[in-house]
Amino acid sequence: MREEKILIVGLNHDTAPVEVRERVAFDRTGLTESLRRLHSLPSVEEGVILSTCNRVEVVAASAREQAAFAEIRNFLAAQESVKGDSGLEGHLYEYSGDAAVRHLFRVAASLDSMVLGEPQVLGQLKEYYVAAHEAGTVGAILHRLFHRSFSVAKRVRTETGIGSGAVSVSSVAVDLAEQIFERLDDKGVMLIGAGEMGDLVARHLQRVGVSSLMVTNRTFERAVELADQFRGTPVRFEDFHRYLTMADLVVGCTSSPEVLLQRETVEKVLKERKQKAMFFIDLGERRNFDPRINGLDNVYLYNIDDLKGVAEQNLQERSNEAQKAEEIVEEEVGGFLRWLDSLDQVPTIVALRQKVEEIRRGELEKSLATSLKGLSEKERQALEDMTSAMVSKILHAPITRLKQQPEDRDEALYIAALKKLFDLEEK
Amino acid sequence: MDVTLLKITALFYLLATGSFVIYLVSLRDFFSRLSTSLLLAGFLGHTAALGVHFFQPGGYSTAAQFREALSLYSWLMVAVYLLVQLKYRLTVLGSFIAPLAFLMSLGAFASGAGIGELPAGLKSYWLPVHVTLAFLGNSVFALASGVSLMYLLQEHQLKNKKMTVLQKRFPSLEALDRFNYVFLVWGFPLMTLGIITGSLLARVQWGDYWSWDPRQITSAITWLLYGALLQARIAGGWRGRKVALLTIVGFAVVLGYFLWGGSVFPSRHRGTFE
Repeated sequence: MREEKILIVGLNHDTAPVEVRERVAFDRTGLTESLRRLHSLPSVEEGVILSTCNRVEVVAASAREQAAFAEIRNFLAAQESVKGDSGLEGHLYEYSGDAAVRHLFRVAASLDSMVLGEPQVLGQLKEYYVAAHEAGTVGAILHRLFHRSFSVAKRVRTETGIGSGAVSVSSVAVDLAEQIFERLDDKGVMLIGAGEMGDLVARHLQRVGVSSLMVTNRTFERAVELADQFRGTPVRFEDFHRYLTMADLVVGCTSSPEVLLQRETVEKVLKERKQKAMFFIDLGERRNFDPRINGLDNVYLYNIDDLKGVAEQNLQERSNEAQKAEEIVEEEVGGFLRWLDSLDQVPTIVALRQKVEEIRRGELEKSLATSLKGLSEKERQALEDMTSAMVSKILHAPITRLKQQPEDRDEALYIAALKKLFDLEEK
Repeated sequence: MDVTLLKITALFYLLATGSFVIYLVSLRDFFSRLSTSLLLAGFLGHTAALGVHFFQPGGYSTAAQFREALSLYSWLMVAVYLLVQLKYRLTVLGSFIAPLAFLMSLGAFASGAGIGELPAGLKSYWLPVHVTLAFLGNSVFALASGVSLMYLLQEHQLKNKKMTVLQKRFPSLEALDRFNYVFLVWGFPLMTLGIITGSLLARVQWGDYWSWDPRQITSAITWLLYGALLQARIAGGWRGRKVALLTIVGFAVVLGYFLWGGSVFPSRHRGTFE
């Protein structure tokens, strides 16, 4: 009888387009039900389902790799409402053993994410683990595997720069603002125009604490509308220059063909502000602000290309850091596999497995030689599979218990009881 | 002065410098604690070295000699930095202070030996007061220059839109500018008191409060510069790059004269390199 292995079957943003991922995705409300169905598959002893917008994966522990892979494939295919099995053909990947451990650690550490280093995936992983734990489909192996993956993720995050540096335009803008200003909650923002990008940046700034927001637009009604949305103050377009002294951050997002702010205007504003720093963010398709503004002391001007450039740099930085992260993952995979191996060397467990396997084999051979003599090769195989599945299911609970509490004081008691009950003799 | 202790001190300052550099470029907060601890260890060794020196016969002569002066100055600078670290958690600043402290303590045991002889007239209680105040003022200016240098680096990055690993560790420009102000406000009165006590001593020793000694002239220049800077900050609303640059210039004058000036423009003032 083979030992339990960790298996992963799934698809992600790399292997499947969003339409496919959507169809396979698991509904949060029916998750417990799905987990139980997964757990009831004959070859699956432990199982966790992971379903985010970028990936759907089943993580399982099984003693019968090939059978389990087939069952999980079918399990996922059944999930798809529209098409049958063929719909997933070519999209699924399968990992077992160390490859599976490595894959899960990489997912947790956000090395497998669409945006390298994004932090959400770890939270999602925890959520789905907890759901599986509550549904009772997690045993000693996956328990340890997931907890290990959480600490790998944490290690990667603290020891490498994989999560550092903003990689979207609006978060780069906020990052830069935080490098210029000590705090943002006492700063004023002026939003000029109603572009989508400006919206994003304004929202992001409000999320990090900016409270005073002025909004201006060529049509005043639109400015009022926007100001309502942001709980800001509308300012007439003709007047906006006058309010610039109160603005520490100025976000330009109009499609205006002419430049809205000249260097000379900003110079005057600065004087009135006693040289207090200003940060101009030009998100217009054509320049909203005079580029010479950046030449003034205490003034910083970034246009959309600059912001994208910084995001690009940060992304590059992240992929450089990814190499370090991969090394950490590799190290941890080794550690985990050693632990897994050590589990199976507990003599009582080995003896128990052997004993039961001997019984299974003996009875099977006896029957196949007598009452079941006429069976075809295929039927024999099915019988073989069925009996192995039965045996591993029966043994799973007691063995899991033994593995779960290696330092438990009751362990000696359990082992003694097991030896007596099953009449085991250790070699 | 106990050279072994000073060597140990210099070694710890060097280790602290290394750790601060790693802190700057890596993202592990462990190095923040390590750096500060190493610097503190160096500081304790330094304190012991100065203590041993003080209780030697004639050791009272605080800073009559260049090496003694250098040692005392770097000790005070590290002390001020450690206090600032306690209050503001400004670990990055340590990466400017630690190498400076290392070079100074290296210079202290590399240049000459023995205890400086003090002229009889200088054995006044005002001497240690003068030395301490003057060095304290200059220590605070060293910190002001540290944050100013950081400001310039950070500003350069932001203006040129090229980000480096430093940006993750540096405080915001606004914070750095505020620290510049805090340090100027503390440093200027200390320096003023240092100059006043200095001229009292000059009256005792040289017979005049002011005698156009190169040492006095450089002190006056820095005093005027920092005074003007502070005034411009408070009344004129100066801030940012200009202030940072001038702060560094002022400190360069002080340090430059302290280290090399004595050999170019000889002064009767003790404790500069002659």
